[in-house]
Amino acid sequence: MSGPVLLLAHSLKRMRTLVLSMGALLGAFQVVLVLVAGSIQRSGGFEQLSALLPPFAREMMGPSMTSFMSFGGIVCLGYFHLVVIAALVGLSIAVATVPASEVETGFIDLVLSRPLARHWIITRSMAAVILSIATVIGLMMLGTWVGLSMLAPPGAEWPSAKLVGSLALNLGLLMLCWGGMALAIGSAARRRSVAGGCTAVLALAGFLLDYVGRLWNPAARVAWLSPFRYYSSFDMIVGGSLPAKNVEVLCGVALAGFIAAHWLFARRDLAR
Amino acid sequence: MRDVAAVSIRGISKHYGKLKAVRNLELEAAPGEVLGFLGLNGAGKTTTIRILLDLLRPTSGSAFIFGHDCQKEGLQARSQIGYLPAEMGIYSDLTGRDVLDLLAGLNRKPVDMSHRGELQERLGLADSDLRRRLREYSTGMKRKLGLIQAFQSNPLLLILDEPTEGLDPLMQEAFNALVADTRRRGATVFMSSHVLSEVDRVCDRVALLRQGELVLLSTVEDIRQAASREVRGYFAEDAPPPAVLPPGATMIDGGPRVWTLKVEGLLGPLMEVLRTLPVTDVEVVQATLEDVVMKYYRGGVE
Repeated sequence: MSGPVLLLAHSLKRMRTLVLSMGALLGAFQVVLVLVAGSIQRSGGFEQLSALLPPFAREMMGPSMTSFMSFGGIVCLGYFHLVVIAALVGLSIAVATVPASEVETGFIDLVLSRPLARHWIITRSMAAVILSIATVIGLMMLGTWVGLSMLAPPGAEWPSAKLVGSLALNLGLLMLCWGGMALAIGSAARRRSVAGGCTAVLALAGFLLDYVGRLWNPAARVAWLSPFRYYSSFDMIVGGSLPAKNVEVLCGVALAGFIAAHWLFARRDLAR
Repeated sequence: MRDVAAVSIRGISKHYGKLKAVRNLELEAAPGEVLGFLGLNGAGKTTTIRILLDLLRPTSGSAFIFGHDCQKEGLQARSQIGYLPAEMGIYSDLTGRDVLDLLAGLNRKPVDMSHRGELQERLGLADSDLRRRLREYSTGMKRKLGLIQAFQSNPLLLILDEPTEGLDPLMQEAFNALVADTRRRGATVFMSSHVLSEVDRVCDRVALLRQGELVLLSTVEDIRQAASREVRGYFAEDAPPPAVLPPGATMIDGGPRVWTLKVEGLLGPLMEVLRTLPVTDVEVVQATLEDVVMKYYRGGVE
């Protein structure tokens, strides 16, 4: 095994418990959501809920509430639920700030005193971010499929594979975007807590900006700055397809983050 | 590779804002040499070592390992290095074997497992110890593990930062023997240390840093020779001290039957003086490396 592959394997081994347990939990959450959606479906609750909410209230409450109106919407809730998104952003940050942690603990001294180029540290982390996000979201999709196959009531309208795939792809790219930003910040930081904290604050600011931008016109003018703006879960649930712009912007930001991380890490002093 | 210096530091400076951690350092270590790199805390030893490993970038100057620029040709420069950091930054949930295997895998050349076994035996780290997680290791065991990972690939250059910190006296002896063997096989050892007796025993030359500047670079033997010795002369009858002593000799205590003198340089001229007196015994107390280095540490020598 070559040095970079060995380093990646080491990182994946270290984070496997976190990634697999989070994936299992979110996959199980999807199964539970199918159960919940089936229960509401059987009691005729979707029609009642839809009739209760006036249009302005649906807009105010945001996509996660209005999407309750269908079996498919409930099943897909896991892909845009605030807690799930927060957990996934946290995971992206945790994986992407490993270089800062390695500088902080001095592990990097042992690794880079070997004939291994610095850029492999960042490339390894980039690969680890992609693989961990793909694993968790893959397990969510698996949970969705297992739940629907085994627990969906007869006659319930399943969310299409395209919808689930688009939501998963958009969510994955959103997490990749935060992973890129965390990696860029972590590549310049001496402390993992600083890198993680800065990225978490940015993510919170981005989320709030997007939320306010949906409700208030003056904020809408700057809401394009938030990566969350490029996650169109509601549009997709109501029948839209994944906008190409979302893919371009999120991939672009992630790529910019990775390039910045390489550039910063190559030039910095690696000192505790 | 035998023709080029193992380590060549040419005018390296490293500044952190106003703080000058290393100032215009010029230093070479020849192949097969054991060079002791001394200095108080904050003298710039670790900074220099980190520049050699390209973990830090110098403000000015260049450093070379076997002719390869540490910054521009870092991979080639580091391909022959075994490094022991002052503190092993390793994950405590890994086992000793995980650490050795991981670090061996990052080297370009495979590790001879029988050599690793021999190192384990010499340093007293059994296979059962390697199966334990590092959180269960004592400071000394971590140090032994650090030494094994540095020596296991038989590198041509060993850069050791405070290698015997935390080792018991027996293991310090084992380390000294390991360094001696390493030198015999032609490898170079560049080690920083606070333990002057250890440097005295294992090093060929000493480089001493003070506030980032090289203030002494010499062989251990030359340092001893150049250092002042204490000479005591014992007389059978009262011997009044002479009015004029030979150059380099200073009377510390001129008692009637015992003189205590400090002598710098050759002893011959003083012996000529003593030859004319009823001497019963002469005692020469050699200066230790510690005596000399302590003077530099205190700033008493420019």
